[in-house]
Amino acid sequence: MSLHVTFRVGNASYALPAAQVLHLESYETATHVPGAPPYVAGLVQVRGRLVPVVDLRARFGLPPIEHSLDRRVVVVQNGTRVAGLLVDSAREVVQIDEAAYEKPPEIIEEQASGFVSGVATAAKRLFLLVDVPRIIGEELSHG
Amino acid sequence: MNERVDLNEFIGGFVVEADELLATANACLLEIDAAIAAGTSKPKAVRELFRALHTVKGLAGMVGVEPIMELAHALETLLRTADRAGGNLQRGAVDVSLQAVRAIGDRVRMVAEGRPVTPAPARLIEQIAATDASSETVSAPPPITTEWDSRLSTSERQQVGRELQAGIPAWTLSFVPSEERAARGITIATVRTALAAVGEIIKVAPRTQLDASGKQIGIRFDILLVGAATPERLAEILDAEPTTIQRIEVPVATPAGPALEPEHEPEPDPEVEVSRLGRSTVRVELGRLDELQDQLGAMIVSRFRLERELAAHAARGLDVRKLREVTDLQARQLRDLRRAILRVRMVRVAEIVEPLALLVRSVARTNHKDVRLELDVRDAELDKAVADRLLPALIHLVRNAVDHAIEPPDMRAAAGKPRTGTVRIACTELASKQLELRISDDGRGIDREAVARRAHKEIPDTTALLEVLTTPGFSTRDAVTQTSGRGVGMDIVKRVAVQELGGELALETQLGAGTTFTVRVPLTIAIVEVFSFECARQLFVVPVAAIEEIFELGDDRIEPPGQPAGSARDTRVTLIHRRGHALPLISLGARLAIEAETTAKNAMVIRHNGELIAFAIDRMLGRQEVVVRPVDDPLVRARGIAGATDLGDGRPTLVLDLSELGDRQERFGA
Repeated sequence: MSLHVTFRVGNASYALPAAQVLHLESYETATHVPGAPPYVAGLVQVRGRLVPVVDLRARFGLPPIEHSLDRRVVVVQNGTRVAGLLVDSAREVVQIDEAAYEKPPEIIEEQASGFVSGVATAAKRLFLLVDVPRIIGEELSHG
Repeated sequence: MNERVDLNEFIGGFVVEADELLATANACLLEIDAAIAAGTSKPKAVRELFRALHTVKGLAGMVGVEPIMELAHALETLLRTADRAGGNLQRGAVDVSLQAVRAIGDRVRMVAEGRPVTPAPARLIEQIAATDASSETVSAPPPITTEWDSRLSTSERQQVGRELQAGIPAWTLSFVPSEERAARGITIATVRTALAAVGEIIKVAPRTQLDASGKQIGIRFDILLVGAATPERLAEILDAEPTTIQRIEVPVATPAGPALEPEHEPEPDPEVEVSRLGRSTVRVELGRLDELQDQLGAMIVSRFRLERELAAHAARGLDVRKLREVTDLQARQLRDLRRAILRVRMVRVAEIVEPLALLVRSVARTNHKDVRLELDVRDAELDKAVADRLLPALIHLVRNAVDHAIEPPDMRAAAGKPRTGTVRIACTELASKQLELRISDDGRGIDREAVARRAHKEIPDTTALLEVLTTPGFSTRDAVTQTSGRGVGMDIVKRVAVQELGGELALETQLGAGTTFTVRVPLTIAIVEVFSFECARQLFVVPVAAIEEIFELGDDRIEPPGQPAGSARDTRVTLIHRRGHALPLISLGARLAIEAETTAKNAMVIRHNGELIAFAIDRMLGRQEVVVRPVDDPLVRARGIAGATDLGDGRPTLVLDLSELGDRQERFGA
C-alpha cells in the first residue's frame, strides 16, 4: 500500500503516487509562453522555482472551464524535470495497493490518448493512474 | 581623456581605498573591543587603526573633502593619546570611534555618489574630543634600552615595560642573513616564524652592516623579543652563538609624569606592509566585468552564425572538415573563457559576512546582551551580484537573532546557558551549484503556539511556521516578540532568497534551544538591465543592451504593396519613416502569435544582422535591473524566449530575445 494524491479532471478521478508529487499549489494564473504547445498553460513560480504548467483539460482534449477556486497545480517531479499539472480539484490522499493496478480497458486507453497507464480501486472508487512522462512530453526533451 | 574624467577616476580610486581602510578600521575596533572584554589590550590593533585613519585623512586631503579630514583628524588625536598610554582604549572610546568611522563612511558614500558632502557633525567632534581615550593614567613609558627607545613607539615601549614588570624576559637579538644560511633554509621569514613560537616579536629593524672602513658589507636584522625562552634555544633559531643573545634587564621604575616627548607616528609595521603587497589583487568595477560578459555573449552569437554558414557550406557539398576543427576548438575556448570570467566575479563569502560582527556588536549593546558572532565560511565564494542581493537578507537574519532570539544574560544564566549567546554563520557549497548558508543562534527558539495565536491560524509544522513568519506585514513585534522570538522583515528575507535569487529558505527551531535558518542560493546569477513593456496585455521585458532606440508611433506607417491582406501573421510587416529612412515595423504581438489587434503606441528598434528593425508594442512601462533565470524545460522552450524574471509581483515575466524574433521564419525551420 502506498499513498496516492487524487484529483479530478472533467468527470474522472485520477491518482498519482505521492512520491512523485512535490506539492499542491492553488492556481490563479500562469504566464503565457508564446510558441509553447497549446496544452501548456504557462509558467508559474512555485517556492522560487520556475515551473511549466500543463493544463490537463487541454491535454486530455476537454473543453476549458471557467475560473474556479478549486483548481490546483499538482507539482510533480520526473527525473530532473519539475512540472505542474493543472487539475480541476485535488482534495484527498488515499492508500492504493500498487499490486492492484490494472491495465486500463482498451477503450479508455484510446480515449485518453495513452495518458492513462492503469486503473486502481480504492475506497470502492475507481481511479485512473496518469502517465506523467507521457503527459509532460518526455519525447520533447529529445527533440 | 579630459581633466573631468581623470578626476572622476581619481574619486573612484579614493572611494575604494577609503572603503578598504574603513573596513580595516572597523575590524581593528572590534578586535580592541574583544580585547577589552577579555581584560587585555591590543596595542597592535590600536596602531593599525591609527595608520588606517591617518591614510584616510591623507586621501581625503588629496580630493579635498574637509569633513572627512576633520573626523579622521579628531580620531587620530584620540588614538595618539591611547597609543601613548600603551594601547589601552576604553569602551566609551571604542563606541565613539565606531560612530566616527561610520560618519566617515557616510561621507565617502556622498563623495562616491557625487552628492555634496555634509559637514562633520559638531556634536560628534566634541564627543571625540571629550572622550577619555585611555582607561589608565597617561604616563611616560619606561625606558628599555637606549638603543631600542628611539626605535619603538610609545605603546611598544609600554608593552615591553609591562612584560618586564611581570617578570617576562625581553631579548635583543640579531640575525644576519646569508646565502649559505638560506641554502640551509634559514631566512628572516623562518626566523620570524620560529621566534613567534617562543615569544612575541615587538620589533624587527633591518640595519646596514658596515666593515671597519665604513663600507657596506651586508644587512642585519635587530629583533626585540619578549618571551620566556632560553638563550640556547634563541641562538639555535638564529643560527648564532649564545653569547650574542642579550637579555634586557628590568628597568628602574621611573616616576609617572605626563607624556612630554614629541608626537611621533609609529613606523609602518614591515610585516603588515609585506602582507599587503603579497596579496597582489586588482580592484575592478563590476560594470566592467558585465561589459566583458556582454562582449563574450556577442562572441557566442557570432560563433553560432559561423556555425550556420558552415552548415550551409557543408550542405552545398563543400569540404569543411578543417574549418569544423577550428570552430570546435573555438567553442571549447569560449567555454573556458566564460568559466574564467565567472570566476573573476566571485567574492569570498568571508568578505561579506565578516562586517556583520559590527552589526552584532551594536545591536547587542543597545539591547544589553552579550552576543558572539561565530563564522565558519572557510574559502566559500559567491558571485558578487548574488552576494550584493543576499546581504540585506543576512542582515535581517542576524539582526533578528541578536535582537529577538538571544536572551538577556541573566535569563540565559537562569536557563543554564552560557551568559554569552552565539550567532553562527556557516556555509557549504552544494553539488547543485548552490551555496547553503546556515544562520543559527542558541537563543530561545520560536514559539509556534505564540505565533499561531498572533496569526489566528493553526501552525502544524515548521514549514507552516516559516510561511506565516515570511508573510508580508506579519510581525511579532511588541510584547509578543519576547516570547515568539522573531521580529520583522522576514518577508524581505524570503523575497530576496526565494523570489529574487531563485533559492530556498528553510527553518528549524527548538523551543529554548535555538533556531537555524537555512538559505540556499545559486552561486551565480545573470543580472540584466531591462525595459519592461506591455504587448497584447501581457508584460514582457527585453535587455536594454539589445535596444537601439525607442520611439512613439505616429500615423506615418506605410503599407508596402505586394502584401496580401490575411497572409501569414508572421509576415505582417509594414514600413515606417524614421530619421529619413524606411524601417521595417513588425507587430510583436503578431510575431509572438498572441494578439495583434491592440493599439501600438511605441516601437523598439533593434539592430539585426546589421539592419535596423522596429517592433511595435503597446506601451513602455519602465527600466530596471533583474535576475534572469533560464527557461529550459522542453515544455516552454520557444523561439524568442530568452528566460524569465520576477519583477516583484511573484509571477514570472518573460525575457524576450528580439533578435531571434527578427529572424525570418524560414531560417528557423531550416
